Amino acid sequence: MRLQSLAIWASLVSVAAIGDARGHHSFAMFDTEHPIELTGTVKEFRFVNPHSILILQVKGANGEVTEWVLEGGAPAMLVRAGMTAKSLKVGDEIIIMVNPLHSGAPGGSYQPDRAKFKDGTPVAVPRE
Amino acid sequence: MPLRTIVGACALAACVIAAPVAAAPFDESKYPPFAGQWFRIGPLQVFDATKPKGRGQEAPLTPEYQAIYEANLADQATGGFGDDPVYRCIPEGMPRAMTLVLPMEIVVTGNTTYLLMEYLSMIRRIYTDGRDFPTDQEPSWMGYSIGKWIDEDGDGRYDVLEVETRNLKNPRTFEPSGIPMHRDAQTVIKERLYLDKTNPDKLYDEITTYDHALTRPWTVVRAMRRGHNPMWIESICAEGNVHVKIGNETYMLNGDNLLMPVKKGQQPPDLSLFKQAK
Repeated sequence: MRLQSLAIWASLVSVAAIGDARGHHSFAMFDTEHPIELTGTVKEFRFVNPHSILILQVKGANGEVTEWVLEGGAPAMLVRAGMTAKSLKVGDEIIIMVNPLHSGAPGGSYQPDRAKFKDGTPVAVPRE
Repeated sequence: MPLRTIVGACALAACVIAAPVAAAPFDESKYPPFAGQWFRIGPLQVFDATKPKGRGQEAPLTPEYQAIYEANLADQATGGFGDDPVYRCIPEGMPRAMTLVLPMEIVVTGNTTYLLMEYLSMIRRIYTDGRDFPTDQEPSWMGYSIGKWIDEDGDGRYDVLEVETRNLKNPRTFEPSGIPMHRDAQTVIKERLYLDKTNPDKLYDEITTYDHALTRPWTVVRAMRRGHNPMWIESICAEGNVHVKIGNETYMLNGDNLLMPVKKGQQPPDLSLFKQAK
């Protein structure tokens, strides 16, 4: 199961173009050169236009919880990439690759194919 | 002729003159199968899908507009948006709309061809009824489009839709990195839409843009693939946009709708119009 999940994860990462979150506008505010991995708990998932918003509570090394605001694809992109309004619910624990804001504030962008649950199951399951 | 008959004849003539010209019945078999859902082929964030993004697009800009573009790139390098207006939910307008961030539906009728874009709910009406450009129309981001169907191979069925678009509104850029269009908004766009000769599921749009920001007309060919199981998803930009422009700066809203900086060292907005509590 674990191996299968990893294989699915790897294959999804390889087709990143399917779930490209960009499009609405320039994404220059996000640092695509230095992506980071966040592990956290979903506080809110807004399946809205022009971009979905994922609010993730991330516990730091000192135990302090920081709330990250992550901007992703529009619903029209996410649905076609295999993600719906029900893909994430409050309390879900996920691991996600993020392009952080240049400013250092706790914000960033995400792509659906770079999000997985803690057991390795991908969040997005592309439509057949 | 009795007076009553003369009056009746005049009234009948007036009716005939005033009546709208009856439209010829729409014969679908004379038109190419453009109707349906079309998806972009190629990457996002580029105008010319055959070239890399940003400077790699090799836009033929005048020195003045190349300098404006360099300023846009410099701003974006620090986390800003440059002159890209779309982050504020301003529609892409023409010709950028034809890069198809999301799919488009084409509806062909005898008098008008409609391009219905899912992204930002943009609509193009291409009039093919022989009219001329109006002189009293307000400019718009999608512009005013007049089209002409062409039967290039003479087989009795149209092959190409030629379109000219004028009367555009600013602000617009060619793509998200901010390749600029001239501030005079005098852009003219000529297009040729046609299907692949061997694959009716592939559509091309040859787009030539005439704009005073350019040293020469800029032609790109965008390709699209047909969607066979159309699904449409609403795209209303104002619903949850987290990007805010205040003064000349842009900020991002956090989960509590408070402003976050997007650039390193960015200052908060000017609050001088608020009375501060002592």
